[in-house]
Amino acid sequence: MPPASADSRPLARQCHPILKTIALSETIASRPARIDGRRLRSERTKQLIIEAFLALVRDNPTNPMPTAAQIAERAGYSVRSIFERFPDLGKLRVAAADYSLAQAAALAPPRQVDGDRQARIRSQVETRAGTCERGVALWRVLLATAEEEEELRPRIRIARERTVERLEVMYRPELSTLPERDRKHMLIALEAILDHESWAPMREIHGLSFEEGCAVWIHAIDRMLPPTPAA
Amino acid sequence: MNAPVAPKSARVDGRRQRSERTRQAIMDAYIALLRERPQIPTAAQIAVRAGVSTRSIFERFDDLQTLSLATVDYAFAIGESQVVARNVDGDRQTRLRSHVETRARTCEQWLPLWRVVVNNASRLDELDVRIRIVREVVSRRIELMYAPELGSVDADKRRDLLVALEILTDFESWGRMREVNGLSFEEACRVWVDTIDRLLPATPRDGHGS
Repeated sequence: MPPASADSRPLARQCHPILKTIALSETIASRPARIDGRRLRSERTKQLIIEAFLALVRDNPTNPMPTAAQIAERAGYSVRSIFERFPDLGKLRVAAADYSLAQAAALAPPRQVDGDRQARIRSQVETRAGTCERGVALWRVLLATAEEEEELRPRIRIARERTVERLEVMYRPELSTLPERDRKHMLIALEAILDHESWAPMREIHGLSFEEGCAVWIHAIDRMLPPTPAA
Repeated sequence: MNAPVAPKSARVDGRRQRSERTRQAIMDAYIALLRERPQIPTAAQIAVRAGVSTRSIFERFDDLQTLSLATVDYAFAIGESQVVARNVDGDRQTRLRSHVETRARTCEQWLPLWRVVVNNASRLDELDVRIRIVREVVSRRIELMYAPELGSVDADKRRDLLVALEILTDFESWGRMREVNGLSFEEACRVWVDTIDRLLPATPRDGHGS
C-alpha cells in the first residue's frame, strides 16, 4: 500500500467504509492496467537502451563495447536506468543478442521458397546480405566477448543453426540430390561463404558495394550447388 | 696473468644475440598463451611463460601494444616461411590439394593469433594494416595456384571468384569447420578442395588440367 501522503484519492473515499470498498475495488480493477502501463514503459525503456547500444556498436566499430554513460546518453536515460534493467553490461550484450535474433527472424522471412533456382538464390542471398549488413557489428562483439560471457555462446550457436536451416529450406531441391555426407559438407561450405565474417571483408577490405557483394555470393552459390533436379 | 679478454665487438654481439633470444622467447610465450586462451595475455603471464622478468619485457618493448605488433610481425614472418608455394605447375587436383593443405596448416597454427588481431584491429590501425597484408598474401597465393583457371575468365568474374575463394579459405571458415562442425583436419581439407573445385571454371587444355 502506498503511504497516506501519497494517496491522491478524494478524502471522502479515504474515510467511508463503503467508499473505501469501492475505492479498493477500483484499485483492484485498475491495477493490472497501471502495472501493464508501467511494465510497458519499462519494456520500452529497455528496448531503447538495447537499440542505443546497437546503434553505438554500428556507428563506432572502433569501440566495440560502449560504456554505460555512452549508452545512457544515446538512449536519453540515466546510467541508473540501465543498471535498473541490466545487472551489468554483459547482460545487456546478451539482451541485445536476443533482440537481434528476434529482429533477424522478423525482418528476414524466407521468400521464393518454391521459386526457380535463380529466384531462390537471389532471394536467399539478398535476405542474408541484409542480415549481415545490419548485424555484423554486433556479431563481432558477440564473437569477441563470448569467451567471457557464457550466455552468449548458445545465442551464437542458435544464429548459426538458423542460417543453416534457412539454407536447407532454400536449396532443398539441389541438396536432396546429394548423399548425406556430401550434403553436410555442402552446407558447411555454403555457411562459410555466407557468414558475417565473409560479408564484412567483401564490403570493408575489397570495397564492394552491397549489390556487388550479393553478386559474388550469387555466382559462388550457383557454381557450388549441384544441378537442380527436374520437377 | 689475466684471462684472455674477448674483443669488444664479440662481447657486444654475444649480448645482442642473448637479447634477441630473450625477445624471441617473449614473443613465443605470447603466442603460446594465445593458443591456450584467445585473449591478450598480461605482461606478468608472458614473463612467467618465457621465464624472464616483467622488467625484461619492458626493456625490449615499450608497452604491450608494441609487443603485440612485434609478435604479429614475428608470427607473419614464421608463417610466410612455412607456406612455400608447391606444385604450382601441377595438374588441377594436385594444385588444389597442395594449396588447401598448406592453407589449412596455416589456419590450424595461426587461428588463435588471427582472432586476437581481428578482435583488436578496431582499436589499433597498425593491426588493420597487417590484416590487409595477410589477406593480400592469401589472394596472391590463390592467383598463383589457380592461374590457369583464373586466366580463362574476364576481369569481373575473376575478381568475384578471387573474393569468393578468399572468403571460403579464411581463418574463421577453417575455425568453424574444426570447432563448430567438428570436422577432422582431413575432412575440412576435403570440404575446401571440393568447394574450390566446384567454384573454379574448367582448366584450359594447356593449363595443367587433370
